[in-house]
Amino acid sequence: MTGAQAILTSLIEQGADRVFGYPGGAIMPLYDALLDSPVTHYLCRHEQGAAFAAIGYARATNKVGVCIATSGPGATNLLTSLADAKLDSVPLVVITGQVARAAMGSDAFQEVDVLGLSLSICKHSMQVMEPGDLQPMLNRAFAIAREGRPGPVLVDIPKDIQLGFVPEHSPRPCNTASLPQASHNDIEQANRLLAQSQRPVVYIGGGVGMASAVPQLRDFLCRTQLPHVSTLKGLGSADYHHPLYLGMLGMHGLAAANLAVQQSDLLLIIGARLDDRVTGKLDEFAPEAKIIHVDIDPAEIHKRRHANVSLLGDLQHILPALECTSSKSAWSAQIEQLKQQKGNRYEDHVKGKEIDAPSLLRRLSDLSADDAIVCCDVGQHQMWVAQHMQFSHPTRHLSSGGLGTMGFGLPAAIGAQVAEPDKQVVAVCGDGSFMMNVQELGTLRRYQMPVKIVILDNQRLGMVKQWQELFHNERYSETDLSDNPPFSQLAAAFGIASAEIADAGEVEQALTTLLEHPGPYLLHVRLNHQANVWPIVPPNTANHEMWEQAR
Amino acid sequence: MTYDLELLLSDQPAALERVLQTARYRGFKVRQLQMRQRGSGLQLSMQVSGPQPINILTTQLHKLYDLASLNIEQTLPQTA
Repeated sequence: MTGAQAILTSLIEQGADRVFGYPGGAIMPLYDALLDSPVTHYLCRHEQGAAFAAIGYARATNKVGVCIATSGPGATNLLTSLADAKLDSVPLVVITGQVARAAMGSDAFQEVDVLGLSLSICKHSMQVMEPGDLQPMLNRAFAIAREGRPGPVLVDIPKDIQLGFVPEHSPRPCNTASLPQASHNDIEQANRLLAQSQRPVVYIGGGVGMASAVPQLRDFLCRTQLPHVSTLKGLGSADYHHPLYLGMLGMHGLAAANLAVQQSDLLLIIGARLDDRVTGKLDEFAPEAKIIHVDIDPAEIHKRRHANVSLLGDLQHILPALECTSSKSAWSAQIEQLKQQKGNRYEDHVKGKEIDAPSLLRRLSDLSADDAIVCCDVGQHQMWVAQHMQFSHPTRHLSSGGLGTMGFGLPAAIGAQVAEPDKQVVAVCGDGSFMMNVQELGTLRRYQMPVKIVILDNQRLGMVKQWQELFHNERYSETDLSDNPPFSQLAAAFGIASAEIADAGEVEQALTTLLEHPGPYLLHVRLNHQANVWPIVPPNTANHEMWEQAR
Repeated sequence: MTYDLELLLSDQPAALERVLQTARYRGFKVRQLQMRQRGSGLQLSMQVSGPQPINILTTQLHKLYDLASLNIEQTLPQTA
């Protein structure tokens, strides 16, 4: 068996039957072997797009996503996506071709030290230098990508190892890292704090979905009836119908969520890392709250805020052991009132009015299938999606959280559609972000994937413009994108059906047409560039001092 | 504060770079460094200093797959 055949054998053994990538010189033996392999390869139009597609696949399924690229520029084009996967803890195995071992270190054509480049943006990375190590390393890469807190693993494989013969390898389970387990004493201590608290709030992060602990979380919230809020990555974990669910907290969190957290005397933080976009001014974040921090990663405990009790381990085991034995009815009533006072308000889509993006997105959410997968880019539209759309599960909301990578939405939607071919997949994009991976329209056309694209076009780099307006004295520097191409014509060039709307009276019909169209479809929505995202917590400000409207 | 760390690493490509990169990124300066082969692994004696609690660094070092063991030998006040 050649090295290239061995790679594909390992992929099949690991259940990776669908992969994304882009060929090139140093990975050609693997692409040659693909022709005779049951592995299905999806050709994207840029390595970054291919890796985002693998991320979309992984995030829609909680399985390991796989991406393949060549050496040199192929490898460097992957780096942004690797960093994205690292910061959002996405299980990924990325295979790069490398120049032949004899040429390594000689500045050969398309040679780059991808191992060195990857160190700070991967959970782990490896370079195969002996044929006999190839399959054991690949198996280990999958184990590392999955175990504990997931993340991306890079495997760099010289071309001569792909071409040469590798010894037979019997697959056997890898030694995985032993995961921490919360002690009985710690759980009792957490339960005591929960019982003693007067104003507890549950703060839900992306770890719940990644631990496949959504049922355990919902059961805990049903048993305890505690008020709860979510991070961007945690959206979909809690049942959005729950009367004590307050939505997203943080810089663009909903007012009720931020106010409840600020008033709390106990925060139960589950699978979250107290990101700066969540806490605002850290010294004034939930100033009276004790902290119970539940996570799989010991490095997150005490990193940003001291935890009174920390529970390290698998959420599937910890959540059923947590309980709250005292009633919080007065606090719950206060929360329900707060939710009522600060609830979102939406506009009717009346002819002759400008389109209101939050109202459009809420309608899109109502019209979409309950298990639709929504992917988005980064910026104002991303926050509107988080604030105004509802998700039945965290695998139904794919958003670049930690790295905040523009250009994420379209390729992630392609990966999600490959993972879930029968589900509705919608990419909500900003006009700036869409242009960053616009080439992936070619991938949509090639595979005729029925991804629905909604471009919220305010002809601006909207979030940066908003900050320039609010915090830089309206000095608008390089945020005018009014020379965007006509997006419908762009779609037509790729053979993709499209429509353009600018009047609120057109919203209902346009959304219905979008969702009912059998193939890929692009809806270009023209917005007033003056619209901003509210609330916003200004920099170095406590969350309860958020601005809920323009001042 | 200044901390002396003793690390045992597996002898893998980039193992030393990972340790140094982690220390730098987490806000610690490497003051002294000595590395030698020990059996099939690498023994690293490293003195670092930084304003943050050392667990900010050690919890990250423990995540490195090339790390076999880590001990904090002693803690010294930081010198100018």
